[in-house]
Amino acid sequence: MTITKFPTTTCERLSALADGELGKEELLLLLQACKDDDAAVGNWGTYHVIGDVLRSPSLAAGSSSPAFLQRLNERLEDERTRMVQEPVPVPLNVARREPAANDSIFRWKLAAGFASLTAVGAIAWSSAAMMSSPPGAQLAQAPLVNQSALPVLVVASPQGPMVRDARLEELLAAHRQLGGASVLQAPSGFLNAAFETPQNAGR
Amino acid sequence: MTEELTPADPVKALDSDAMLVERTVAGDQKAFELLVIKYERRIQRLIGRMVRDVDLVEDIAQETFIRAYRAMAQFRGEAQFYTWLYRIAVNTAKKALMDLKRDPTVSENSFKSGQSDESDETSPLENELTSSETPDAVLASKEIAEMVNAAMEALPEELRQAITLREIEGLSYEEISEVMNCPIGTVRSRIFRAREAISEKVKPLLENQSGKRW
Repeated sequence: MTITKFPTTTCERLSALADGELGKEELLLLLQACKDDDAAVGNWGTYHVIGDVLRSPSLAAGSSSPAFLQRLNERLEDERTRMVQEPVPVPLNVARREPAANDSIFRWKLAAGFASLTAVGAIAWSSAAMMSSPPGAQLAQAPLVNQSALPVLVVASPQGPMVRDARLEELLAAHRQLGGASVLQAPSGFLNAAFETPQNAGR
Repeated sequence: MTEELTPADPVKALDSDAMLVERTVAGDQKAFELLVIKYERRIQRLIGRMVRDVDLVEDIAQETFIRAYRAMAQFRGEAQFYTWLYRIAVNTAKKALMDLKRDPTVSENSFKSGQSDESDETSPLENELTSSETPDAVLASKEIAEMVNAAMEALPEELRQAITLREIEGLSYEEISEVMNCPIGTVRSRIFRAREAISEKVKPLLENQSGKRW
């Protein structure tokens, strides 16, 4: 909606501001105008009294006093002056660190430097050694076999039928030497038994 | 001076207090003055219900506004400005009374009215006359109320209707323009002219009353 032209005075803008119907741009113009127009500022107070009284006659009690505002402005001026004059306190967390007791002894600095160099050298040496070894050297070499050609057999034994998987046999044979005893102090060969089918499985 | 203006869209219109706070934080002293003038009476009424010693009321009100000014940058707008200001006033009054080691004449309702977000500017509590009101102030208030009502009666119909819809019914300019079937600019102008007409008659009384205690 567009408004037709109408005269806009400072007081009219104050009236619109009192109703919350003033835009930001107009507020800036209003505040600028109010700096040279104390009478208009006085009207602002009167508009609020009128509104209060219309809503409830008992709200007529009291009135805005120029003396109150003047006194407040003087106090605010003092406050601003004090804030400008007071130095900014230094925060505690950036306070200067006290020097160490051995700060002035050169041989301690020398020892600390040497220790740092030694540590860096040791780390570099071990890193270089790891980089130079061929990758995967510790892995067991296993010949490629056709997996489908290795059948799984079930053989009869005194303990009952046993599953004999050729790939598993090879794996266990290759690792028996390295595996040694398990944490249960039993030979790792017992793993073979794990693949034995229960004696009464067929029953 | 004549200007082409676009009305403030009521939906988008910012809260005028929030805008004045924003300008105050930006360093505009006049914006803070407008806030002080708007709330000075209400704050003094609030403190007047808490403090028996009427000499203290103005001092505490001053301290309230000083504290509000200092803390203005921290005002986040989560509550209404007046609610925030009322809270400062109540806390300032309590502290002042504790410092003086006096017993506050405080009713629980006074604190609630200052602390509750739902507190209304024109709550029945605030409408009550307090024991600290002097007979002169009571008489002056009555005269002002009568003068405002007489000035309202003397207004042309369209001005009276516009200001009634705004101040008593609380309608926005857009709503009033629909009710009165006229542009928003006309509504704004009518409300302003109504206020000016009433103001002319009331001002002498207000100037006499200025500085009197309630």
